[in-house]
Amino acid sequence: MLNPVLTIAIPLGLSFLSVILKKKRGWVLLAAACANVVMLFFLEKGEVVIGGFRAPFGINLILDAYALAGMAVAGTLFLAAVLVSRDKAERFSTVLLAALAGINGMLLTGDLFNLFVFMEITAISAYLLSSAGKKPEHSFNYLVLGSVGSVFYLLGLILLYSMTGTLNMAEMSRLAGSMEPAALAVPVFLIFTGIAVEAKLIPAGGWVRGVLGNSDSLTGALFASVYSGAALFVFGRIFADVLLSEGAVQIVLILLGLLTFAFGEAAAFRQTSIRRILLYSSIGQSGLAAMLFATGLIFPAVLVIISNSVSKFVMFTTAGKITEIHGTDDYRELGGLFRGNRLIGTAFTISALSLTGIPLLFGFYAKLNVLAAYFNGRNYFLPAVILILAMVEGAYFIRLLIRLWTPGKEGEEPDAGAATKGTGLFKPVGAAVVFILSMAILAAGLLPDHAGEFISSDGGLPGGDAPSINLSLTKGGQ
Amino acid sequence: MIRIASLLLILIGLYGIFSTRNIIKILIGINIMELGVNIFIITVGFVKDGLAPILSPDSLSSALNYVDPLAQALVLTSIVIGLGITALGLVFARKIHAKYGTYDLNKAGGGEDA
Amino acid sequence: MSIAVFLAILIILAAASFFVTAANKKAGGFATVAVSLFALAMVLSMKGSVGGEQSFMYLGFSITTVGWYFSVVMLTAYSMTSFFNPFWMKKMIYPAGYNFLYLVSMAGTIGMFFAGDFITLFIFWETVVWSSAFIIQQGKSRKASYVYYVLSAVGSMATLFAIMLAYSVSGTFVIRDAFTGLAGSPGTALVVFLAFILSGLSKMGIFPFHVWLPEAHGSAPHTFSPVLSGGLVKMGAFIAFLSVTAFPAYEIFGDMLKIMGIPAPIYFLMLLGALSIIIGTLMAIKQEDAKRLLAYSSVANGGYILIGILMLDQVGFAGGMMHLMNHALASAAAFLAIAAVAYRTGTTKMSEMGGMIHRMPVTYLVYLISIISMAGIPPMGGFVSKWLVFQGLADKGLLFIAAAAFFGSIGSFMYVFRPLSAVFLGQLFTRDKDVREVGFFMMFPMVVLTLLTLAAGVFPNIILRVVTEIQKSAGIEPVTLARNTIVTTNGFLDAFRVFIVFGFGFAIAFVLFIVRRKSRKVGLMDTYTSAEFIHTPELLHYSHSFYAPFERLYDKAPDTMNMYKKISAGIAELGGLVEAVFYGGKPAKTIFWIMAAGMVFFLAGGVFR
Repeated sequence: MLNPVLTIAIPLGLSFLSVILKKKRGWVLLAAACANVVMLFFLEKGEVVIGGFRAPFGINLILDAYALAGMAVAGTLFLAAVLVSRDKAERFSTVLLAALAGINGMLLTGDLFNLFVFMEITAISAYLLSSAGKKPEHSFNYLVLGSVGSVFYLLGLILLYSMTGTLNMAEMSRLAGSMEPAALAVPVFLIFTGIAVEAKLIPAGGWVRGVLGNSDSLTGALFASVYSGAALFVFGRIFADVLLSEGAVQIVLILLGLLTFAFGEAAAFRQTSIRRILLYSSIGQSGLAAMLFATGLIFPAVLVIISNSVSKFVMFTTAGKITEIHGTDDYRELGGLFRGNRLIGTAFTISALSLTGIPLLFGFYAKLNVLAAYFNGRNYFLPAVILILAMVEGAYFIRLLIRLWTPGKEGEEPDAGAATKGTGLFKPVGAAVVFILSMAILAAGLLPDHAGEFISSDGGLPGGDAPSINLSLTKGGQ
Repeated sequence: MIRIASLLLILIGLYGIFSTRNIIKILIGINIMELGVNIFIITVGFVKDGLAPILSPDSLSSALNYVDPLAQALVLTSIVIGLGITALGLVFARKIHAKYGTYDLNKAGGGEDA
Repeated sequence: MSIAVFLAILIILAAASFFVTAANKKAGGFATVAVSLFALAMVLSMKGSVGGEQSFMYLGFSITTVGWYFSVVMLTAYSMTSFFNPFWMKKMIYPAGYNFLYLVSMAGTIGMFFAGDFITLFIFWETVVWSSAFIIQQGKSRKASYVYYVLSAVGSMATLFAIMLAYSVSGTFVIRDAFTGLAGSPGTALVVFLAFILSGLSKMGIFPFHVWLPEAHGSAPHTFSPVLSGGLVKMGAFIAFLSVTAFPAYEIFGDMLKIMGIPAPIYFLMLLGALSIIIGTLMAIKQEDAKRLLAYSSVANGGYILIGILMLDQVGFAGGMMHLMNHALASAAAFLAIAAVAYRTGTTKMSEMGGMIHRMPVTYLVYLISIISMAGIPPMGGFVSKWLVFQGLADKGLLFIAAAAFFGSIGSFMYVFRPLSAVFLGQLFTRDKDVREVGFFMMFPMVVLTLLTLAAGVFPNIILRVVTEIQKSAGIEPVTLARNTIVTTNGFLDAFRVFIVFGFGFAIAFVLFIVRRKSRKVGLMDTYTSAEFIHTPELLHYSHSFYAPFERLYDKAPDTMNMYKKISAGIAELGGLVEAVFYGGKPAKTIFWIMAAGMVFFLAGGVFR
């Protein structure tokens, strides 16, 4: 059994090493990404004390099912991103390795200040990556918002420290539980803002359009699935495990998630650029996850994050490649693009349909769990909103898919000759990775209960949250 | 008093970011904010007439009179991170200037279109 | 064979047809024929095993008579239409994908009709929706597929809401139990009922969801429109059936406000059905395109089916259940006939065709008999079922709805006559003078469907006997059947006798037509124009502006599509606002909103604690 600290130490160490090994840095990156995924299978569950002081006095790492789920998503998609865009990733080897360490640290740490440090490491690497979009003004915007967010986070953290006298999450959770909920409003806001910047939530996600709208196949996938997945896991850790808010503050948190969800979907509805559709849809899904976390529904939120991360990975890498090869990502100009790229088209379609919650794909299981969780809590308003927004989502995705599959003018039979020319969006390895991920969506959707059990294994989610629905128990004749 | 001053600093920094379009000034605003937070952190750990939190033979007697060492550690880390961010921000500023020949965000293609 | 295995085999065969088509297009088309006929044979042979419950993993199936009946209707449409597939493969942009999705959607419908629980029902329902959406876009219009998918999604989401709501109250997904568990809370039950039936309404094209039918039926590949209209629309009828039987609607709403003796929610839905009849009829009269016309007629017929099923009584219900079979047969045949004409002439615009009776007489007969059935004229199947619906309405004294139903019946004379005279009668266009009848392979399904339509009209009790079983299983009194007679409180119908009378009349007319032949054939351009040159012969076509004076009566009527366009524009507008307000290149905007959020949090913590 391996010590979880290795998942932080190894990438960080290799990050420095990659500066020296200029020629071989691509391989170092690949090795680290692989090792990171392999290590996940051998990590020792539980608490690791760093520096010899027991928590709450020292710094500790906590590896529970929740952290592991986050690391598995982030780590796998990180490896996939590196595999798909080897050439691009090589230039950013050092940055990416640091980011990997930061992300693992974010997910593992049991200490609020450590979380701040890891978030900063990750954020700085994200600023650097965003500069690959050749639009420094957007990177700058991101950096400014990120800094403001981190200042706010730090302020909130120190307020909490002055109120409770600890920075340890478990201790904080215990002490904050006995405090007047209203007193937590300001620190909750400050910490919320800090995380919301990375999690793309309204009000702090203003940078997203500029950065993700100009992303390439590497950065798009990393921002939309790896970074935002990890940020949302952190959001959940804090707002569903450590700082449980209640009353008006909780309502505000839920509302902000709901607004993000609704506004993101509405904004996605009017886009014609594939990347913009995807980025607003990502914002929407982040809002949904945040809303779920704020309500205390951890398992459905985890499903939403996983479903969204994997789907968006496939779609953003494809959109990035499309832009690189065809010079545009306006889907009106890309009619019939998938005719020459049917395998990728299929993967893209599966991912999109999964996001809209089509049955037998993983997204459906996620949606079903979300609905069941709300209904179990006798909440009927939010599920209705979620379903209406799912309709909007289905509308813009099906419009996109129709256009990308079928060339030809409206009112005439499809014209194969009018299809956007060009085959081979991806190199074989990239195509294989993208296709395998989409097949994973399908497989997990076909065997949802197994997927659900896998995710909540050992019942180790915070609060013992478990699947809200077990399909095997609901079949007829029982 | 110092605490209020530090909060004021944060607000001043925020106002700076909010009101100016000049990249360098925005970075300065960020720095002011960070300064404010750092001072705030120190005030949280401050103990009147406290001693430096160093274990030495002559301070053993007043074990309860240390200033909080944790806050100081946080500030150190935060300063380092702030430095990194400022440096990176300046790099971006340079890039923007190289690309658009201006430090004004309004003119630097950073308009509403992405 | 268990349903799960059967479905698995169908899916595997669908995948196989994909690869066969990839190798040889025509062979792939024939593969769909073989597979759909196999499926039809399998389902027909399952009649004996009705009553079983099966499960496979998390899927639950329940073999019911009504499921069997719907499956037979559906598979008849699928298997007969599949005969056209081999000949249209070269026109498809994705022939392999088409064949695959064709068979997957077919398997989906079977799975849905035999579903034992709501999750299974929903899974297969959605499977059909997306697979057919991807087929429709291979036709003339991309927009059609979009409209179809979105309106289906409206229904699907509402149904999912209903399913989950019922689950949260009764703790089960098993269809009957989940609904009966709601008996204690009529308020929840009302929400569940209305939300659940929404997907059925949208699928059947009941007002205000009817807008997708003309788009999708009119623009889908010619080989898929018959399935859409003859088959997939009937999925909605299945949902409607579940809504009133599995969901004991009349019992649960028994204490509610009653209108004409019908609980208000059900009466409201019947009104929607009546509106659909009126709108479908009026819009069908207007259409220029033969397929769009038939699509609107499907809207109207969907109204009859819905009203019939919602009555849940001895007579009207039987009429609704029988009408869905009759409409499936007739509408599939009519769409196939139009497809056959389109195959030869390349158009479905009525003003661009004419005189096809001289070139394609069999297709003409097929079309004639189908539309007679759809209009409810004896001695075809449609007459018997509509007669039953009328009987039911008259029994209950549902005046307004009966008026609408009669209006639709009379209006249907107008719209069925138009394509008949425009496409088949009248003068032949010169460019069509070399058109030939379609080959045997395409003629076969049309003839079979036509004979079935005729059989349903002459021996309706064959179908009605199945319907009585369904009525028994739904716990209502079955319609009274004598040997070849249907007996109701207001009278009886001996369809065979009607057939004899009509056959006799037809024979006399035919003899007169042969003996006293006075007509002279003239060409379309054989006219006096005062030396004016005719640029567009279509204008001379006598179906051009056929019902112009009548249409003028309601051409200002609002278009439901505009409502959806407005909603869509509204969402896009909100999206634009969101973009402008929250997203941009500069930090100031975001800082402002962060501070605003801070104020909200502050208030939440302080004021509203």
